[in-house]
Amino acid sequence: MEETIQIEQALANIQKLVSNIETVIRGKQSQIKFVLTALLAKGHVLMEDNPGTGKTVMAKTLAQSISGPHHEHGVAFKRIQFTPDLLPMDLIGSHIFDDIKKEFVFKKGPLFCNLLLADEINRASPKVQSALLECMAEQQITIGETTYPLEKLFFTIATQNPVETEGTYPLPNAQLDRFFIKIYFGYVDEATELDIYRDYLGIQNNLNHVKQVLTMNEILFLQQETEKVSIHDELVTAVRNIVRDTRQHPEITLGASTRSGITFLKCLKAYALVSGRTFVTEDDIHDITQAVLDHRLIYRTKEGKQKALTQILHKEMDRLRKLNLGKGNV
Amino acid sequence: MPIGKVHSLKKLIFQVLLLALPTVAFMCVVLWRLNNFYTILQNEWLSQGLYFAAGCVLALITYRYRFRFVTTTLLVFLANLVIYRSLQVINFGEFDSFYISVKFYIFFILFTTGWLAGYAFSRSKYLTIAWSALVLIAQIVLIAKTSDITVNALVGGIVPPLAYAFYMIYTAGLIRNLNEEESSFFKVIGKRLSIFALILLLLFAGILSLFKASFRAVEKEWGGSSQTEKKEGKGDSESMTQQGKNGGVENKDQSKLSGSLSKDKQLLFVARLDHFFGSTNIPNPLYFTNRYYTKFDTATQTFETDANMPYNDLFNPDPSQIPLYFKKTDNNVIKQSLGTLNRQVVTTEVYNVNLAPETFLAPSTAFYCQPVSVPKEFKKQYRSAYQAKMWVSDLNSAYFIYNPAGNAELESFQQERFETLRQVKAIEGPDKTFMDYYTYMPSNADYKRIGDLAREVTQNAETPIDKIIAIRDYFTSKDEFNQPLFKYSDNPGIPGMPSASKLNYFLFENRKGYCAYFAGATLFMLRSLGIPSRVAAGFSTTDRSSKNPGWYWFYQDQAHAWVQVYFQGYGWIDFDTTIPDVNTQQASQPDGTPPTDIPATYLVVEGEVVSTDTIKKQVTIRTAKILYHDSEFVSKALVHILTDASLASISADTGEVKFNSLIRGMQVTAVSHAEVLKTIYTKPKDSLTSVISRLKEPVPVDEIKIRKKDEKKEQQKQTAKKDEETINWLNILYAVLFSIAGLGLLLLFMPLLIWWWLNSKAKRACADPAEKGYHVNRALLYYLGQMGYPYDQLSPGSYAASIDQAFGTSLTQFHLSYQKAKYSKAALSESDLSGLQNFYQPFIKTVKARIPLKQRIKHFLNLYRTLHYFSKPKLS
Repeated sequence: MEETIQIEQALANIQKLVSNIETVIRGKQSQIKFVLTALLAKGHVLMEDNPGTGKTVMAKTLAQSISGPHHEHGVAFKRIQFTPDLLPMDLIGSHIFDDIKKEFVFKKGPLFCNLLLADEINRASPKVQSALLECMAEQQITIGETTYPLEKLFFTIATQNPVETEGTYPLPNAQLDRFFIKIYFGYVDEATELDIYRDYLGIQNNLNHVKQVLTMNEILFLQQETEKVSIHDELVTAVRNIVRDTRQHPEITLGASTRSGITFLKCLKAYALVSGRTFVTEDDIHDITQAVLDHRLIYRTKEGKQKALTQILHKEMDRLRKLNLGKGNV
Repeated sequence: MPIGKVHSLKKLIFQVLLLALPTVAFMCVVLWRLNNFYTILQNEWLSQGLYFAAGCVLALITYRYRFRFVTTTLLVFLANLVIYRSLQVINFGEFDSFYISVKFYIFFILFTTGWLAGYAFSRSKYLTIAWSALVLIAQIVLIAKTSDITVNALVGGIVPPLAYAFYMIYTAGLIRNLNEEESSFFKVIGKRLSIFALILLLLFAGILSLFKASFRAVEKEWGGSSQTEKKEGKGDSESMTQQGKNGGVENKDQSKLSGSLSKDKQLLFVARLDHFFGSTNIPNPLYFTNRYYTKFDTATQTFETDANMPYNDLFNPDPSQIPLYFKKTDNNVIKQSLGTLNRQVVTTEVYNVNLAPETFLAPSTAFYCQPVSVPKEFKKQYRSAYQAKMWVSDLNSAYFIYNPAGNAELESFQQERFETLRQVKAIEGPDKTFMDYYTYMPSNADYKRIGDLAREVTQNAETPIDKIIAIRDYFTSKDEFNQPLFKYSDNPGIPGMPSASKLNYFLFENRKGYCAYFAGATLFMLRSLGIPSRVAAGFSTTDRSSKNPGWYWFYQDQAHAWVQVYFQGYGWIDFDTTIPDVNTQQASQPDGTPPTDIPATYLVVEGEVVSTDTIKKQVTIRTAKILYHDSEFVSKALVHILTDASLASISADTGEVKFNSLIRGMQVTAVSHAEVLKTIYTKPKDSLTSVISRLKEPVPVDEIKIRKKDEKKEQQKQTAKKDEETINWLNILYAVLFSIAGLGLLLLFMPLLIWWWLNSKAKRACADPAEKGYHVNRALLYYLGQMGYPYDQLSPGSYAASIDQAFGTSLTQFHLSYQKAKYSKAALSESDLSGLQNFYQPFIKTVKARIPLKQRIKHFLNLYRTLHYFSKPKLS
């Protein structure tokens, strides 16, 4: 009974969070869901698109929804603008000589926070990128002989401009793998765009007045609840099939790893919760496959990139749809 | 650097086992058959099969790696060429060297064929198809080489390569496209192949059983009948007669030109022919005709009867099936016989000794048949008898027809006939079809040679009759050593060579033969001159003792074939060009006593036996048809008549039988010669009932003839008859069209039928929500897909939303409940449960309401959508 109440509380909290973000970000429901999915799955998210499509606003809104403008009970939000001349020390901090104490003290960098917005990550040099990504994976920073653990809740939203843009250092595949989800923002539809123009100042204003709706503990609780989402064995099989199919598809030269499969499952659970359910469905698989797997694969051709994953997904969805899980058949 | 691979080892093994092995086995059979026809192959089909296998397997192994076809094949060619050259350089004996190079040549061809086949299986879809087609063609060529065409041979020849071709195309594709890393590789192949085999088996078995009757009919028409195979113990020899089904002898259905002719001295029938010279009592014999051969099948070297011959004047009743004293007449044949000059109606009575009961023999052109009873004292001797009437030409007297072969008396006698016929300067048939049909002959070189001979022989003859005489004289002419050019022989000793023209052999080489050879040769010679002619088969009538004028005895060795030529006005005129058999000029057979004293018949009852009384020897017959004092009475109602059979002789087709063989239900004809009936006359307005009522029962009968033995035999007969029916190509066409239409119709209604099934499954109550949801979901996905709303790439949720938007339904709600039932372990809420259970029918109703009926029907004819629904998406 208690569990039911807890889960209902969790679902209500998520709903609160989603609607709060939606007051600022319009026409981006699926992206919001993806971001929250990554958050609940204890992962990180990478957003890619042209400048000016709302990536930064999204990150900021999320941060404010859970930290508030002054982050007293909320989470600590930091934002770093990545540039080519950024150094790893600028991220993780450095030892600074204290004139008074006459010793080197460690000055924590912006990485020591709960929610990090790494803006335009691919503009920084590979050295910086890898520094960040290692932290993301290990949840800790080692400097010299000391190891500093990161915060319990550490969520990175990285944005990047399309790889083709000038002045970028494309992220290597191994690092892309660290991001649970990669989101394409894209442009909003006509009607929403018109709305946005009508009160173009409004959004900025809203941003300043975004309420804090959840506390850090609540977020941690949500992460904990995500673990409890049930997933049917057939859907686990489906994930297995999809992952294996990526390795066999003729258009894909590098398929998904087993780690991607695990990530996939984590994301599925989180996504189900974000969608207001305590169990994973076919729809969840259909919705997040692209976001979870696409950036991990290397395609043979551009056309392959367009259709390979769709084909794999379509094949598996067809199997699931025609699956009879009635008791007579189990 | 290792060479890249196209196929894994697993695939290779499958290719060798499933593709190469059947191919090699098949090729071995083909080679074995080829060895039978081509001497160059020297009967080493096994080693030749191995050459082929080597090529095939080597190619499969080679093309497993990423080798290029052109370079590798060129290398193989080159290697072969080098070996070939070096073989020539190495000094063997001259003969050995030739022998070895020929062997190598064969090896080279087979190896290369195998190599190409292997490449095809390994790499190319289209080449596999081409290979299968090639094999099929090879098999067809082989079949064309066989001379005995029976359905079994044909089916046996066609079906295996056809099945093989299907198998190869299917399996090669299957193996090539299968995902080799899949764990269920073996299972998939096993499953698919067994399904494939099942379908193929059903298909062939179905078609074969469905069209069995048609096949048999076709077989009959081709002449490779099973009857010829039935002949036991006679080896290669042929006769003009054959054992009939009911134990009698009849003229054979086909006159095959082969082997030798065996003749028995067995009396077959006795006939009284009411044909005399003028008003004298000098008998004028006539040949008895049984059937005509109008077609010559070049493939089987067989003369054929043809029910569709133009102006069919063949009257061929079954005397055993006509009740005693009842008549069967066909006046059409008189018209069809096209003869008007020198004609008269002649009567004959044929007493059957050993003929098959269904045989009907009479001089041409018969048009009337009436079975009569055999006088009691002759019952043992003669099985049955019938009277026949025919429209006989005076010019067809046997004396006119005999080949005089130097007999001056006969020759001068025949001059009279020739004078009459000389008035016909050129023969013109009633129409073009007639002329085309009766002057048709095959056009290959063999027949051209016959034509040349005919022209050479008849170069001095002007009128058609002179040409005929010239041909007849050619057969009796003498060679440069003053020896007869042609000899009569029952055993011409022509080896049974396939597709060699036996007639040519007869005419130009061996010049020995029996009647069918002479008749056949004459037929083609006449036809090549444009004279319409046909071969008649029956019995020649020989002039016997003058003890019983008008009576003739027919023995088995009198079975004969001769030529009939059409003369306008005179109709078909007989000509016999067979030269007399000098070796068997024997004394004529002793004649028996002819059956005479036929009593007057007063009553004939035809009907079914209702009951028998073995003690009183009385039989009750149910009848609807009687003959009384020669007038026929027929009624619709069946009348019972009690007969006294105490004095009657009871007979069946096989001869006399006992009283107790009369069984209830038998079809019998009872005949009465009783004097008491003589004085009971009929009145003009009498009906069947009134006639019988006037007779004093029991009516004494003298004869009961059983017409049908029992139902089983009857059935057999009917099926046999059906088989004998000439094949109607139109019917076969219809049958094929019908089955195609049926198949098409089935395909057309397939989507609807599937929908009905799915719909019924979805409607059915089901306690398990997941099960129910599954059926509902499946049915509605199918229905919506058929209506043009395929789900394709959409996620189930967004698909449901789009449907809701289009139809105003609540599919999304259902979908959520269904997903919950399907994937969640948690218990469903009440609303979810009722949503699942009660969703389906209202939903379909709503969708139906939105789509007009016409549109729905149109959608349901769309087979593509059905296929789309059932097709499994594939990774390309």
